[in-house]
Amino acid sequence: MEVFEKLMLLIYITCCSLLIVNGAIDPEVINKSVERNIDISTQLVKITHKIQATHTGKKPFSKYSFLVNEKEHGNLSFISIKDLSTKKEFKAQENKISAGYEYEITFPSTNNQHLHIECVFTKSLIPHPSKITQNEKQLVRYFGNAYFYTPYQVLTQKTTIQLPTSTVEYSTNVPMPVVQSGSRISYGPYENIDPLQISEIIVHYENQTPFLSVTRLERVIEISHWGNIAVEETIDMTHSGAELKGPFSRYDFQKDVRSGQSSIKNYKTILPASATGVYYRDTNGNISTSNMKIMKDSVELDLRPRFPLFGGWKTHYTIGYNVPSFEYLFNNGNDYLLKMRVIDHIFDDMVVEDATVKIILPEGASNVKLISPYPVNRKEDTLHFTYLDTFGRPVITFTKTNLVENHIHDFNVKYNFSNLNMLQEPFLVIIFFFILFGIVIVFIRLDFSIYKEKEN
Amino acid sequence: MNRPTKLLNRKTAGYSSLITFAVLLLAWLSGFSSRLFAVIRFESIIHEFDPWFNYRATAYMVQNGFYNFLNWFDERAWYPLGRIVGGTVYPGLMITSGGIHWILHALNIPVHIRDICVFLAPVFSGLTSISTYLLTKELWSPGAGLFAASFIAIVPGYISRSVAGSYDNEGIAIFALQFTYYLWVKSVKTGSVFWSAMAAVFYFYMVSAWGGYVFIINLIPLHVFVLLCMGRYSPRLLTSYSTFYILGLLFSMQIPFVGFQPIRTSEHMAAMGVFALLMAVAFLKHLQTVLSKTEFKKLFIAGALIAAGIVFLMVVLATVLGVVAPWSGRFYSLWDTGYAKIHIPIIASVSEHQPTTWFSFFFDLHILVCAFPVGLWYCIKKINDERVFVVLYAISAVYFAGVMVRLMLTLTPVVCMLAGIAFSCLLEVYLKEDNTVSIPKADETDEPAVEKKNLYDKAGKMKRPRHDNSHEANGLGSNLKSVVIIAILLMLMMFAVHCTWVTSNAYSSPSIVLAFHNSHDNSRNILDDFREAYYWLSQNTADDARVMSWWDYGYQIAGMANRTTLVDNNTWNNSHIALVGKAMSSTEEKSYEIMTSLDVDYVLVIFGGVIGYSGDDINKFLWMVRIAEGEHPKDIRESDYFTDRGEFRIDAEGAPALLNCLMYKLSYYRFGELKLDYRGPSGYDRTRNAVIGNKNFDLTYLEEAYTSEHWLVRIYRVKKPHEFNRPALKKQERTISSPSFVSRKTIKRKKGYIKNRPVVVKGKRANKK
Repeated sequence: MEVFEKLMLLIYITCCSLLIVNGAIDPEVINKSVERNIDISTQLVKITHKIQATHTGKKPFSKYSFLVNEKEHGNLSFISIKDLSTKKEFKAQENKISAGYEYEITFPSTNNQHLHIECVFTKSLIPHPSKITQNEKQLVRYFGNAYFYTPYQVLTQKTTIQLPTSTVEYSTNVPMPVVQSGSRISYGPYENIDPLQISEIIVHYENQTPFLSVTRLERVIEISHWGNIAVEETIDMTHSGAELKGPFSRYDFQKDVRSGQSSIKNYKTILPASATGVYYRDTNGNISTSNMKIMKDSVELDLRPRFPLFGGWKTHYTIGYNVPSFEYLFNNGNDYLLKMRVIDHIFDDMVVEDATVKIILPEGASNVKLISPYPVNRKEDTLHFTYLDTFGRPVITFTKTNLVENHIHDFNVKYNFSNLNMLQEPFLVIIFFFILFGIVIVFIRLDFSIYKEKEN
Repeated sequence: MNRPTKLLNRKTAGYSSLITFAVLLLAWLSGFSSRLFAVIRFESIIHEFDPWFNYRATAYMVQNGFYNFLNWFDERAWYPLGRIVGGTVYPGLMITSGGIHWILHALNIPVHIRDICVFLAPVFSGLTSISTYLLTKELWSPGAGLFAASFIAIVPGYISRSVAGSYDNEGIAIFALQFTYYLWVKSVKTGSVFWSAMAAVFYFYMVSAWGGYVFIINLIPLHVFVLLCMGRYSPRLLTSYSTFYILGLLFSMQIPFVGFQPIRTSEHMAAMGVFALLMAVAFLKHLQTVLSKTEFKKLFIAGALIAAGIVFLMVVLATVLGVVAPWSGRFYSLWDTGYAKIHIPIIASVSEHQPTTWFSFFFDLHILVCAFPVGLWYCIKKINDERVFVVLYAISAVYFAGVMVRLMLTLTPVVCMLAGIAFSCLLEVYLKEDNTVSIPKADETDEPAVEKKNLYDKAGKMKRPRHDNSHEANGLGSNLKSVVIIAILLMLMMFAVHCTWVTSNAYSSPSIVLAFHNSHDNSRNILDDFREAYYWLSQNTADDARVMSWWDYGYQIAGMANRTTLVDNNTWNNSHIALVGKAMSSTEEKSYEIMTSLDVDYVLVIFGGVIGYSGDDINKFLWMVRIAEGEHPKDIRESDYFTDRGEFRIDAEGAPALLNCLMYKLSYYRFGELKLDYRGPSGYDRTRNAVIGNKNFDLTYLEEAYTSEHWLVRIYRVKKPHEFNRPALKKQERTISSPSFVSRKTIKRKKGYIKNRPVVVKGKRANKK
């Protein structure tokens, strides 16, 4: 009996090792219970996992692997792993293994670990049909897995899918039990599911929320030590939902409420509370269709693109504002620290495909160090010349692709700057005028003519 | 400006130069700020139509460099012909703003080229008032000059062409014009090669900036000619004119667009003739010093007759042989106001080429139009060489301004100068006694124009020593004097108020952004439909899409939407415009043929029926028909578009040709369903106050691609041949429609027969088969 058990265990271990090439995964860890909530009510797919992991051998463990399969990994924008009760963020090491991408989480040794893992996927809802006319509704399809994709055994698991409305064209109803109630579909509970199980589910449903993505964002932050930080964002935007087929009728759009529901007429951008001098323009000048509301803790811009955005339509604009530097720039003698957001809110549930952030430091800043909240692709530093600069301002540039709202975090830039540098430009102007007046004085007082007019 | 007064008493010179400086600075500032209405009310934006092209060209030059600009072949205009921009523009404007941009960027001042373009004309208005001051000072007195400078800073006739955002040639050309005239007058006065060479240089700048340089190159020779006729020949005149003419000729030929015109076209012949005449006169004068009186008389008469005959014959011959081009259409329309209407509808269709009304003289010049004959009279009364010039300037400019509204612009500076002289003389008479009452400092009033006049009072004070001599001679009562002075000041104040009012109400609309006041809550609403639609075009159509629209919108489409246009405001090819006009005025089917032959992807029409905008395409439609008729008289007839009673109506009684033409359909597509208010009928056109006549129709060859929020701009996509609204049929369902005649030809009866032909029965065999 004992021998048999041992043999079984051996087989089980080999099986697991075969399945998971990476030996780091401890096969004795199991997921006692997994609760998944898949929110597909916007253009994003937000999956929150509540995982209770234990060790079958009752031994303390300090590593846990979270898997994202290869197909989904391409759309994965954001992942955060926390302790469910203490909300403490855990670091995770990303590895590529045969079963997909592994996030190897390390935490203090324990027998029983509760994890809260949040993933945000972009571009995972596929419009179907991909082209609709103006009056049709936008339907999208979600492809997912009924089971939690994990290298461990799962004792009990349940998945809930949150939809925007209760209108569902089709949803996979295996494996049982599948229940739809209102705008929710729940899969499970399922018990004793083996590792790496996949049972594909498709949900085809109505989603009229804005499918808007920023294809390119350029954010320029210019620091002036005279007390101002200017922020300018240049945005290329596309309606990434179902494309508009056939004509656009203004008559229908104005008269029929049901017409063009999936189009984007306006959206809100939230700026910092201290933002002043806000402008919203494009290459043709100011976009007059916008409103600004000053709230207690933010400035809310109600932006209306020049034209409603239908599927596949694009627009491009620039938005800019000033904030006082004392809120973001801190110093200790000549050591400065700039603490600002990498990206800011553009619209709710936004998707930024490609962001470039440029930080223009004052002329004469040295020893520049960038600390970003998450890995970014740092470009080569350049120089920027503006009002009366002589040797240029250092510019830090970095890029990052596939960003969502969860990426709104502060970066830190440390640099040294001597306040004497600020006097350089006023001195330049003073010297220029001094020389100018000197020349005028000399020119007027002296007679340069080569021949004297006769005085009568 | 204080150097000439250097030799005067130090103290007075200091005051006078300070006052001059202050007045000119204030004139510059007030001129600049009164041109900013549009920027403050709307934004820093390029206005209207032509400025959009200038802006686009400037932006191109800034981006690609000057030489690439000169070689620029614009394939986005006049599709499929294209346009050689470098050779068909006056590049002065672009070079000026490009140069400013370059200097600012060399100093690392990052000003966008659009802002430079927007503020160029207001900045140059200050330079214009300074050059007007200099010119008037040369002609009369510094006091009159200050008056003239203040007048021109705010006069509506000039502001109409130089508000912020009106980025057009005229904005800098008036400065170049005035400064060239100043240098010319200076050179005639001094006879110095330096001044006349400078005049030639500024003439070169003028040539590079505006087609109106022809005015200079005719007025200066006219001046010389009249001086010769008046017997006012002098070696100074010879030096200045020959230097100016030769240098100016060579300079002007450096502009690619002008090229060889100065020696080949009739417009420039007068200058050449006067040059020859001046040479002849100089030669005769020289002979006069050599020969005796009788000898000279004979020689003079014979020589003059022969020379005149030879010159005349040469000009005629050259014109006939085609060496010298005859006068262009626009110049003919200067002499004969009816000419354009008959021969060139495209010139007549532009409102600024219409003859000027009496009203607009007063509207644009106000009190100056009354004062300027006085100044003219003073100039004639105290004539000298340079006053002959201003008299000729005034007379010719008045004539041209009467012919074309647009040329009001050339009249305005001379009116300001002469009115300045008039007011200066008036005040000189009436302010004499008041000299003793000194007003110590210029009080900073709110009205800049009036303030300048107050400052003038002090300028007059300097001349006290001179006036004091005749103090007792003029016994005008002090009451009368003060009454007159107050009246004059009131008039000037009213002038300033009028100028501001006209500028604010008539000349400060960008015309691409419309604004209206909401009477309910007194808020201002902005109609931004033009930019909305153009921006839609720029973002959501293929980069090489070709947009057909009436030529008025060509520059705007190219500038704001960056798309290829078929015709634009540079109306150089009448037949191409006529083709577009024909497409607009034909039926949908026929115009589809034209549109496919021109590779049109989108059609853009302006429709004001929803908001009551009167400048829309239906109101311009008759010009399209007329221009199309000019080239295609067989297909398009203007009379077809009128009702039997000769009315142009869009309602049910309208002419069928109108109700079915493409322009009508595109303007009113689905408008018949739209109810503007609850009680009114559907399809009520607010611009023309009528219910449209053709309501329910569908488009076969086009589909609505975009319509702006207030329906002002409507864009249609031209369908490709496979997209037509024809139902697709399967092969077996297809039937070929059979005509009523069915052939009875069978194998047995191969003969065939003729339908309805009486069958001749011949004996028994007829019915036998």
